[in-house]
Amino acid sequence: MARLIRTEKEVEGRFEEVWVVVEEDPLEQWPAGPLTVVGRPAPRKDAPERVRGEARFTADIRLPGMLQAAILRSPHAHARVRRIDLAPALALPGVRAALGPGEAHGLVEEAGFAGAPVAAVAAETFGQARAALAAIDVEWEELEVVLDADEAVRRGLLTAGPRRHERGDVERALAEADVVVEATYRTQTVLHNSLETHQAVCEWLGDTLHVYISTQFIWGVRQEIAETLGLPEDKVRVVCEFMGGGFGSKNNPDEYTFVAAELARRTGRPVRCALTRREENTAAGNRNATIQRLRAGARSDGTIVALEGEFTNAVGWSGWNASTEGPMRMLYACDNLRTVTYGARLNTPPMKAFRAPGFVEGTFGLECLVDELAARLDVDPLELRRRNYADSNEGTPFSSKNLAECYRLAERHWERRHEVHARSDAVWKRGVGMASQIWYGGGGPPSYAWVRVGSDGRATVITAMQDIGTGTRTAMAQIAAEELGLPLERVEVVLGDSARGPYASISAGSSTTPSMGPAVRAAAADARQQIDDIAEQRSLPAGTPVEDIVAVLEDGQILGKGARGPNPTGMSVLTFGVHVVEVAVDVETGEVRVERVAAIHDVGRIVNPLGASSQVEGGIIQGIGHTLSEERLLDPATGRILTTSLDAYRMPTIADVPEIVCEFVDVPDEHLTNLGSKGLGEPPIVPVAAAIANAIRDATGAEVRELPISREEMLRALEAARAQERGRRGAPAAV
Amino acid sequence: MELLRPSSVEEIDGGVFLHGGTEVVPLLRDRLLQAERLVDVRGLVPRGVRDGLVGAGTTLAELEREAAVPAALREACRLAASPQLRNMSSLGGNLLQQTRCWYWRLGYPCNLHGGDRCHAREGEHREHAILANEFCASAHPSDIAAALVALGARLRTSQRELAVEELYRLPDESDRRTTTLEEDELLLEVELPPVEASIYLKAMDRKRWAFPQVGVAAAQLADGSVRIALAGVAPIPWRIESVEALDAATPLPRTAWKLPVARALVRRALVALA
Repeated sequence: MARLIRTEKEVEGRFEEVWVVVEEDPLEQWPAGPLTVVGRPAPRKDAPERVRGEARFTADIRLPGMLQAAILRSPHAHARVRRIDLAPALALPGVRAALGPGEAHGLVEEAGFAGAPVAAVAAETFGQARAALAAIDVEWEELEVVLDADEAVRRGLLTAGPRRHERGDVERALAEADVVVEATYRTQTVLHNSLETHQAVCEWLGDTLHVYISTQFIWGVRQEIAETLGLPEDKVRVVCEFMGGGFGSKNNPDEYTFVAAELARRTGRPVRCALTRREENTAAGNRNATIQRLRAGARSDGTIVALEGEFTNAVGWSGWNASTEGPMRMLYACDNLRTVTYGARLNTPPMKAFRAPGFVEGTFGLECLVDELAARLDVDPLELRRRNYADSNEGTPFSSKNLAECYRLAERHWERRHEVHARSDAVWKRGVGMASQIWYGGGGPPSYAWVRVGSDGRATVITAMQDIGTGTRTAMAQIAAEELGLPLERVEVVLGDSARGPYASISAGSSTTPSMGPAVRAAAADARQQIDDIAEQRSLPAGTPVEDIVAVLEDGQILGKGARGPNPTGMSVLTFGVHVVEVAVDVETGEVRVERVAAIHDVGRIVNPLGASSQVEGGIIQGIGHTLSEERLLDPATGRILTTSLDAYRMPTIADVPEIVCEFVDVPDEHLTNLGSKGLGEPPIVPVAAAIANAIRDATGAEVRELPISREEMLRALEAARAQERGRRGAPAAV
Repeated sequence: MELLRPSSVEEIDGGVFLHGGTEVVPLLRDRLLQAERLVDVRGLVPRGVRDGLVGAGTTLAELEREAAVPAALREACRLAASPQLRNMSSLGGNLLQQTRCWYWRLGYPCNLHGGDRCHAREGEHREHAILANEFCASAHPSDIAAALVALGARLRTSQRELAVEELYRLPDESDRRTTTLEEDELLLEVELPPVEASIYLKAMDRKRWAFPQVGVAAAQLADGSVRIALAGVAPIPWRIESVEALDAATPLPRTAWKLPVARALVRRALVALA
């Protein structure tokens, strides 16, 4: 029976109350550990078509008569369009239509950042469209520019009111603490830089808008376009079969889609609007910079008695105030806590969710602070973490938590530090650091799937979800194969089209597997039940292969349907993990090399160990870039982005990838769905920066508190450590 | 725009030279270079290595694998760019590449573009020059140029012979160019005098595919003397006599970190050659 419930929905650490109709989830969880297909490593089902270049990405869509659009962006960090003349652009060869501010959703008259979209043209070729942009005549009224986050907070320029959390009595606890550590941490702005830039192709067929888009949320895009354009939702079809990365930046349609839709409407032709790499580096979202002023108090036995944090998110012109304080609130048991989080409104490009938004930044601050506390207390960092283990989330029980087991598995990696230290020499200092991770990743309803079984014993999973590159097709096929009792190669997955399948969840917030997996299993179980009914009526012995049972159906098909059940009420569904990192630091040139990362994660049942370890590796590599080399830079005078190409914005190369050891506490969450799986997209990036910084401190004694840890920052920290050492010895400070 | 393929150097009459295209094409695309006429010089410029002569059309990938080439040049090639770029880019083109200064690359009206100030000096400049940076704080990006200067290499062009060092000049108020190349002058060959030993060391932001934050080339000549040249520290490849010469550096607030890096790499290079 359908059941209507009011439930809390969480995406990327943001909560809202929603009504959902959930179907009962009567399936018992499978036993823990590897099964026949689930829990066994499976290469990606779509690997051959990807490798052969046959997989069709949005960037590959070429429709007959398709026009190319280009977007005019503000050169000023804050300015108003006083007057705009599109006529010179329209007069150029190949140009078919042009739009000014307000003529498509997202094209603005007041540009709040350099790169804000203000106008657009469609032409026969992209070169013609780009040339036409240069012909648009704009008269700008320049407005005041604010680029400094502290200044914005002082002046009350916030995207929303400050967010505060308090429990216990922080002042008293700090006053009574045996040790108090205090430090300011800063993290930089970094960019998603997905391999496929943000883009859409729009085409009107009758009164239906067809949208091919690189997106993490087919149904969210459908809903937002329908609402913005005043269309019934079923008059918008959204397609995304393959996509080249999103990392949180592709949850919405954004200006390029609305520009393509409007230009397509005006010209009666399909229109493609694809951001260039330079636009991608300018106006496609970012992980916002943060300033974290933190304090921790502890008793001499290592009990943390007080945590206090003032967090400033440099949000940009718009965006939301991510939970940078989240790890401080949730990672450790601590009776006294006070946090305040400001979202500074600046004339810089808006933030977007970026792989564990807030928690990546907040974990850097918190887990470095905890190591600084460990050093002051002279307590082993692993031991200090164990002594402050949280058994509940501010009183709410965890649906499952195996962080203690992660710590146990980390021991053998942590023990390596003695041997690592011994390999230091006069130039290269080596050390080991660790950091824990906490993040969401429980997913939730609604999400649906269908399963179709033919009389040949082959099955197709149908659901209008997206595979954002994480291996979702393979994981969903494994789940269906397991439930149906079929080998993996006999299960196909059809996804990526809102016109071909039921509603499916967003692929953000590490939610794809925990949201969709249970729905797919339920659909497969529904089909399997029907198959078993047929076997019984045919008096076939138990264990008869599926194809032998259904062979009599000829053109008949078995159709199963399934829905994601509710999340456990009154419980916190969270993911946990710990990383142990080994680094080498060249103390003369400031070069930092990450040599080894051991990652141990607790995300419930692992569906595909091969896909899971790929996720962990990707998260670690992206985290290394965040920690060591990536930084979006602005011109301080104008607020324009300076790092607009991939030689200026430095992501790690394969040569920068260390040895990665990946381990899982592969235990299903007994309270979470028929699958017991949580998500893994975000957890592996969360602890990377802190673990590297803690390893650097272990190697050199230098306190690095600012990301990225460039050579400049590393040399500064080394010099500060040397000065402190000289001061301690009473030697003259000058050399 | 037209593409010409002259059959001899004499036929060249203006236009922008094109070889591997790894520099010229992006500059054209970003409108930093205007050209009515592209001159494909691949048929005119010698390619390959023989008897201490290196054709300016030799790719970096070929040089990196050429045993007859001194270690400093091979290593400078190996540590430059990516394999794909090294397969395309020519030695001559590499010597003539423009700075990576983001202000210059984004077309700011800076001194190097003929404007009236250096935006980097007042702005974001953490990868900029620490020497000769008064007028323009851009840093020269060529690993290969530093290696050739240290090796004492000479250039033969379509018009003259000169030391590689003499190819470069500091831009000033009256002339914003960073090379001494004349109109229609084409780099043809590099002559490498014999050296006893040589080395190239490079500090980057990541392990591969990055321009030098600091590059140090050093070569020991037959008479025992050592020549040192640096990349990434001045608007042009920069030769120094000794590590002490770096005491004269004039770093900007956020380029001061390059100085200890340069000193460490020069010392290491000298130790390695000793």
